[in-house]
Amino acid sequence: MNTDHPIICLNNISFSYPGADAPVLDQLDFDFYAGERTGLVAPNGSGKTTLFQIVMGLLKPDSGHIKIFGKTVSEEKDFVAVRPRIGLLFQDADDQLFSPTVLEDVAFGPLNLGKSKQEAVAISRRMLSSLGLEGFEDRITLKLSGGEKRLVALAAVLAMQPEVLLLDEPSAGLDEKTKEHLVGILKNLDISYIIVSHEFDFLAGLAESIYTLQNGKIVLDTELHLHEHVHAHTYGRQPHKHD
Amino acid sequence: MLISGAVLAAAGTAVGLKKIDYDRIARVGILSASFFVASLIHVPIGPASIHLIMNGLVGLLLGWAAFPAILVALLMQGVFFQYGGITTLGVNTMIMALPAVICYHLFAPLLAKGRKAVLAAAFGCGFCAVLLGAVIVGLALMFTEEKFLEVATLVVTAHLPVMIIEGLITAFTVVFLQKVQPSMLPTFDGSPQKTANSQK
Amino acid sequence: MIDEPFAHGSSIIHRIDPRFKAVFAGALSVATAVSYRFEALFFALGLSLLLVIAARLAMGLVIKKLMVVVGFLLLLWLVLPLTFEGEVFTRIGPVKITRPGLILSAQITLKSLSILMMFIALVTTASLVTLGHAMDRLGIPAKIVHLLLMSYRYIFVIEQEYRRLSRAAAVRGFTPGTNLHTYRTYAYLVGMIFVRAAERADQVYKAMRCRGFNGRFYCLAEFPAHRRNWIFAGLMTISLAVLVLLEFTNAAQVLT
Repeated sequence: MNTDHPIICLNNISFSYPGADAPVLDQLDFDFYAGERTGLVAPNGSGKTTLFQIVMGLLKPDSGHIKIFGKTVSEEKDFVAVRPRIGLLFQDADDQLFSPTVLEDVAFGPLNLGKSKQEAVAISRRMLSSLGLEGFEDRITLKLSGGEKRLVALAAVLAMQPEVLLLDEPSAGLDEKTKEHLVGILKNLDISYIIVSHEFDFLAGLAESIYTLQNGKIVLDTELHLHEHVHAHTYGRQPHKHD
Repeated sequence: MLISGAVLAAAGTAVGLKKIDYDRIARVGILSASFFVASLIHVPIGPASIHLIMNGLVGLLLGWAAFPAILVALLMQGVFFQYGGITTLGVNTMIMALPAVICYHLFAPLLAKGRKAVLAAAFGCGFCAVLLGAVIVGLALMFTEEKFLEVATLVVTAHLPVMIIEGLITAFTVVFLQKVQPSMLPTFDGSPQKTANSQK
Repeated sequence: MIDEPFAHGSSIIHRIDPRFKAVFAGALSVATAVSYRFEALFFALGLSLLLVIAARLAMGLVIKKLMVVVGFLLLLWLVLPLTFEGEVFTRIGPVKITRPGLILSAQITLKSLSILMMFIALVTTASLVTLGHAMDRLGIPAKIVHLLLMSYRYIFVIEQEYRRLSRAAAVRGFTPGTNLHTYRTYAYLVGMIFVRAAERADQVYKAMRCRGFNGRFYCLAEFPAHRRNWIFAGLMTISLAVLVLLEFTNAAQVLT
């Protein structure tokens, strides 16, 4: 594993939405290396989704440079080349599952990568069964439950065999059982990932290092420090476990 | 009459499809879905209620793409509610989509003017979209049987309340869109990329 | 509110390849629409009734669906015989009822009911997704097919958003009436639906690009071949031929 160069390197990134007073991201620097499993915890509206969309080239930063897999990416065609290697799981699975059936949705990525129909279908079936979704192939996407949608969306992202996963609030709205299932899946994946979440307990089991977004910048906290910090503000009044 | 309706609708849809490339399929499809949902809304008028049509607004938002969008919405109405068979699909698409496109060309340029002009243009757009639809119904009936000319006048008069309500609602909706998401309106040539996103 | 009540079933009609059903639904409907002779129209009505029975649909629901058209047809029976000029059939007081008016009303009634029942039996017995796949295989332009599938996919999402919005309006004391305030409120609801839909469309388009979208959509459905499809096709072709013959030849002559 090459750990000399970061696979995602953000340098001096600023972004503000039209009409907003303060920038969401303010001269942000961030390096992400292969093999890392990183958590990003921050309140809603602090720019986590924006950050992911900038990495994928879906939003254009007002300033700054992005290097992915060691190459500078700035134009749409640069991003088109790197997108298949980075899997972004959207916060709202309904945005992601636009195909009518589960099989078609999971196969969409592989087909776009030039796989034949047979290959794409085979990859999709394999992926679905590895996530415990056997028999879902012909289900109509819009009739799935919230948890099923999230898992199918994950299968669709993984079917492209990405090298990095960007997961945007993957546990939001899931029941405990599905959440555990998801944690099990992610733990067993041999892949680097960044998880954005505001659920500390969910992140704690999955991330090796945890960062926060503060005032438009990414800040590394030591785990202990962050633990206290999150408790005091977000989970202080709710019942929770201590390991 | 049914056949000429179908042929014309097919021609309009073909033009509409030419105008949308594959990048815009998702956008037109989802707007077509919201058009379908909007047409389920019942608005009270006196003791009765009417359901919205909103073909004028669809014309403003989509231009020629209103043809395929309306065809798709009507097809779904047919499948969900069995409002009509296959044969009337063409005629019904013409009745709603042709006025939408005409109104787009008539009123869209006026949206760049001041607030009062916008209100008037949007009202006119909603009003005329239904009026022209009624006129097409009248014309269609005239081709089947000349005696129907009186009935055609009747169709137009009977739809007068609908026209007024469609005009009002289209006017208020356009004013709303101009405040909230002006990039959706044609003066800004609402291409998908330009639309500002609210942060999720 | 939105559902497909006839889409699921195990009848012989449900198991026939949707491509075959769609083709014959179209052909039979057009043939019925251009027919005028009562022999042909009654044949079409009988055939459509048989198809509905073969599909083993909930009859109460079918009748309920037909009632929408029946209302319109009753109006026709009230207007046409009175306004249509021609040979007088009978008089009720000062009102004359004309024969051509009655004939036209009967023709339209038979046509509408037959075509609608054909549609219910042959088209609505498949889900819209299956129908989209069938259209794709029948060579309907991919753009319109995917427009339809995309639209169908998001109707339910948008309808839920609409319900949330109208509930929010209701809890804030909104009661609809015939006044400007009502129309403005509905306009804002409609506007909000469209704004949300446009935002949704942006996100979906982004998600598509993330997965390497390059201007192509794919249909993966397979329709397995089966003998019953061709039996159905044979029967429907014969029915179509009978329908056309009844319209264009004098049935009485054929019989004698």
